[in-house]
Amino acid sequence: MKAFEYVRPSSLEEACAALAGSGGGAKALAGGTDLVVQMKQGGLRPTMLVSLRDVPGLAFVGVGDDLTLTIGAAAPLATVEHSLEVRRHYPAVADAASWIGSAQVRSRATVGGNLCNAAPSADMAPILLAYDALATITDGRSERTLPLEEFFTGPGQTVLEPGELLKSISVPPCPTGFGKYYKTFRSAMDCCTVGVAVWVSFADDTAAVQDARVALGAVAPTPIRSRSCERVLIGETLDQALIERACVAATEDALPITDVRASADYRVTLVSVLSRRALDAARVWAQKGAGG
Amino acid sequence: MKKELHITVNGDECHLLVATHRTLLEVIRDEIGLTGTKNGCGAGECGACTVLLDGEPVNSCLVLAHEAEGRKVVTIEGLAKAGVLHPVQEAFVEEGAIQCGYCTPGMVLTTKALLDKNPTPSRQEILDGLKGNLCRCTGYIKILEAVETAKCLLEERGSEWADV
Amino acid sequence: MGGCVIGKGLPRIDAVPKVTGEAQYTVDLKMPGMLIAKILRSPHPHAIIRSIDTTAARQLKGVHAVITSQDVPDNLFSFYHWLADKHILCVDKVRYVGDEVAAVAAVDEDTAEEALSLIRVDYEPLPAVFDVEEAMEPGAPLVHDGKESNATWSVDRLFGDPDKALAECDYVVEGKYVTHQVAHTCLEVSNCVAKWDKSDRLTIWTNTQAPHTQRQEVARILGIPRRQVRLISSYMGGGFGSKLVMDMKLPIAAVLSRMTGRPVRIVNTRSEEFTTAKTRYPYTMFLRTGATKDGQIMVRDLRVIGDAGAYHDKGPATINFSSMMFGTLYNVPHIRYHADMVYTNKEMGTAFRGFGNPQMAFATECQLDELAEQIGMDPLALRLANSNCAMETTSCGAEVCGCGMTDCMVEASKRMGWDEKRATKPDGVRRGVGVANMVHTGGGGRFYGFNSAEAFIKLSDEGTVTLITSALDMGQGAHTAMAQIAAEGLGVRLSDVNVMSHDTDLTPYDLGSWGSRASFMDGNAVLAAALDAKKALVEAAAEMLEVDADDVVIEESQIWVKGLDEKHDLSEIVDHSVNAHGLPISGAGKFVDKLPEGYTIPTAFAKNIPCFSFGTQMAEVEVDEETGQVTVLKVVAAHETGTTLNQTMAEGQIEGSVAQGIGYALMERLVHEDGRVVNDRFLDYKIPNIGDVPEIEALLVESEGTDGPFGAKGIGEPGLVPTAPAIANAIYDAIGVRFRELPITREMVLEALRENRS
Repeated sequence: MKAFEYVRPSSLEEACAALAGSGGGAKALAGGTDLVVQMKQGGLRPTMLVSLRDVPGLAFVGVGDDLTLTIGAAAPLATVEHSLEVRRHYPAVADAASWIGSAQVRSRATVGGNLCNAAPSADMAPILLAYDALATITDGRSERTLPLEEFFTGPGQTVLEPGELLKSISVPPCPTGFGKYYKTFRSAMDCCTVGVAVWVSFADDTAAVQDARVALGAVAPTPIRSRSCERVLIGETLDQALIERACVAATEDALPITDVRASADYRVTLVSVLSRRALDAARVWAQKGAGG
Repeated sequence: MKKELHITVNGDECHLLVATHRTLLEVIRDEIGLTGTKNGCGAGECGACTVLLDGEPVNSCLVLAHEAEGRKVVTIEGLAKAGVLHPVQEAFVEEGAIQCGYCTPGMVLTTKALLDKNPTPSRQEILDGLKGNLCRCTGYIKILEAVETAKCLLEERGSEWADV
Repeated sequence: MGGCVIGKGLPRIDAVPKVTGEAQYTVDLKMPGMLIAKILRSPHPHAIIRSIDTTAARQLKGVHAVITSQDVPDNLFSFYHWLADKHILCVDKVRYVGDEVAAVAAVDEDTAEEALSLIRVDYEPLPAVFDVEEAMEPGAPLVHDGKESNATWSVDRLFGDPDKALAECDYVVEGKYVTHQVAHTCLEVSNCVAKWDKSDRLTIWTNTQAPHTQRQEVARILGIPRRQVRLISSYMGGGFGSKLVMDMKLPIAAVLSRMTGRPVRIVNTRSEEFTTAKTRYPYTMFLRTGATKDGQIMVRDLRVIGDAGAYHDKGPATINFSSMMFGTLYNVPHIRYHADMVYTNKEMGTAFRGFGNPQMAFATECQLDELAEQIGMDPLALRLANSNCAMETTSCGAEVCGCGMTDCMVEASKRMGWDEKRATKPDGVRRGVGVANMVHTGGGGRFYGFNSAEAFIKLSDEGTVTLITSALDMGQGAHTAMAQIAAEGLGVRLSDVNVMSHDTDLTPYDLGSWGSRASFMDGNAVLAAALDAKKALVEAAAEMLEVDADDVVIEESQIWVKGLDEKHDLSEIVDHSVNAHGLPISGAGKFVDKLPEGYTIPTAFAKNIPCFSFGTQMAEVEVDEETGQVTVLKVVAAHETGTTLNQTMAEGQIEGSVAQGIGYALMERLVHEDGRVVNDRFLDYKIPNIGDVPEIEALLVESEGTDGPFGAKGIGEPGLVPTAPAIANAIYDAIGVRFRELPITREMVLEALRENRS
């Protein structure tokens, strides 16, 4: 690694000021499990690292009384994985966190880091997109909030301006529904080859889909919502035939590349397979009666 | 540029002058001279460099040394007490879970962290807990047996080792 | 067959230093004034070097030396000196991405890396060739100029009349099988430190499996007398064959150390380990097998194209060795084998656990299943009908002594539940079981014309035993096995034995730890030394206790007289001999492998193998038809040990081998783009982690008739040989698709299933 300046501010204002004042050469450092690797191997050469370690208020994880899920950007994945509240109310989010990397990685890697690194395969993105998550961005003085869907602008790129930090992710309370994330990987520890997350709610005690959100990871320049798939689902009865049509629609939104991990063709197949498994599970859940 | 760094390693307070781009692994091995922690890949993909940072298992090759300012680090050298092996170490020896030994320090520390947090892990929880430690020699079978044995040993004697 | 110490699953003697972090590997060594060196490697698979400008690098603060081919001896090197084809640093051409072009020694790693970036090399890229079949075609780019073709070494074997047999067989199956480059991925990367002393002697500390032969290699390439070179090894973080032949880091470090007057360390990065530390030799194989309608295998005809990579290493020996195994398993009367080693512009190959046998077994054992299907026989039944027998000499001249092959098959079948699982499949999932057999050497080979070992034992007056052996422990437990043999032979406690090894100044000349030879060869030498020392000890005890030597009993470091109760500690006897009579007690032992009558290297073929080891593996898999994912549920691995020296360690060898076999079958492959490896990290070169291994049952099958110490055979490699074909055969049983290329990826499975449906 090349030498760099290292600062460890103790407030959000200081942190953002340091990021802003570096002329674009500074990077925020949370867990470092992506950043340090890129600095060692990927040619990333920041002139300054702004450590978020001692900035208060960035690592909070909790579920409010109204069931809003709030995850501080610098909350380690392990905290999300083991949080009793998250496990209780948003188990799919805890699961997604638990399937990233290894225990060692999850001790340090953060939700914010995973999202800000903005790999097309970012493992926290699909399930949070399926939950219509919001991203709160701060520049140290004021905040702005936008749908997570708008946060990613390209592979490795986000809407963050110099001097801005992702502060937190929040999932607004939603009606009872079925949420789950599916990913495939080549061995028991791997970044995802393809990720599919769904959230489906049903009308009364039927299998009629009231609302559906489907998100795909690693099959487009950014994690995306599959609107085509959602349009097929909403307002219809979730049966095998609908699921088949929905899966086809999901593959239409997928624009994967071929790389050393998988071919584009295989990724498209996996989108269909994982979507089907996710929606099948939703259908079974609906049949059992909304269990909360 | 070098900065002052204060960390506690295996109970000893260390005051060092360390360049900002040095990793915790480099500091442990080169500055402090504890070579039990190994460099396997430098990218957090093999777990050979695992140490405990405030009790959490981390890949020390990816932790910038200065991020550990004021924190407590435990390396493999910090487990045995006065010549007596920690129960996890004892289990690894008894079950034949060590061949070339290069992955062993990381594997032992990850196991300790797992059992400290969850004294009665299921088989799946053990697998999930150790996925980040690669071994090319053993095929993991005896490592799994060692973890099960360590579970029992800690149940019997855990309180004696609570301060490690 | 157990003694006091032999057979028991005793903890290995080096477990404690390893588990406490005290064990020092060569990469942990610190020396005052040590410089760090880095190597500048070619970014092109094939190119002319027009010029190299090191001026800026030399001027960088902290750089002590920069070298190119002008600064090193221009000797060519290869493991076989008559195939020597590689310079220490490339002179006129680079031949693969990673080829050594220049090197820098500096005060630290950062400076060395920066210096590398300042070296200017002007390359003129040349057309490159990456595929062996293309490389063999006339007009293909020549990796080495001046050769007629890229195929520069071949092996031919012919026994019986294969063409006639093929014509007469009731069933003949034919197929092409392909395997690719895979990496050893030892957890400790290849590294060395070189240092010259004031008497102009060179010492190199390095993780090597063969310090004596590497020492010769270093001397050879530097053009200095062997006596000037000393190699020291230490605890080793894995070997698996990758650390047998010298690599250029050693002479590079030596030259830099000479130039700078300082110790110089070179350590591979993990990326260099994947891209330059040498691979398993890929085999492209064309195989035919013929049998009678009763299931007697009559003929096997194999053509192999081995991918040497850019330079020769152990390739010729590898294709030679696989021919020996080919000719031995099942005692097939008619055998034809032709293999070529072919240059390509890729990373070179070297030895890797199994040494050509895993590649070949994939073809032969998969094809056997096809044959069984055609004949209408169960694959296991076909194998049982052709099993090797003890005390037979095969049609190719292989002398099989102890043979537990049938036992292995029968035991494996019981533990797997072969019959039930073949007959009944569960609903809703696609499961299958497959079988594969193997034969390997259990004692190295005689092909170097030298196959012997030596050991020394000294007893001290406090009752400890020092064993000096050349056996290298790379994790497989050789030192523990040697200590157990010494302890058993002498009659002492295992805990009283210290093993000294590692230093070529101290240990007897030895070919190194490979070919599963340490237990057999070094073990026999250790046993001889132990018995020699025991004789001296018994005589000393007889003299001190004033009894006949025949009445002296030694067990667990206690000595007593038959019929009497009084026990003496070992230390008393030694102390008395040394301090009262001035007579040290020690032992020396040799084991010289008896060459068979009429043995000559060119004609020896399978008589090169002092001891064969047979085995059977069965695999149970489940295939996800939607994603193509293959999950191995269970592997039963039945292998001969002759006599098991240490049960825990023997199981560990098999379990570790099977895990590597699973990686070989399903996960591992170095992927190239324009000759450059693109998956040079663990993230993208997947090896099994703890979540990827199934239940593995290691069955140790003992049998009589082996000349190894206490009847033992080597067990280091056999476990890796049949795993991939067992898995491939299981996949066929599950989904009715045969795969003839490794690794069997999810995409291949899905593609094949799609084709089947349409």
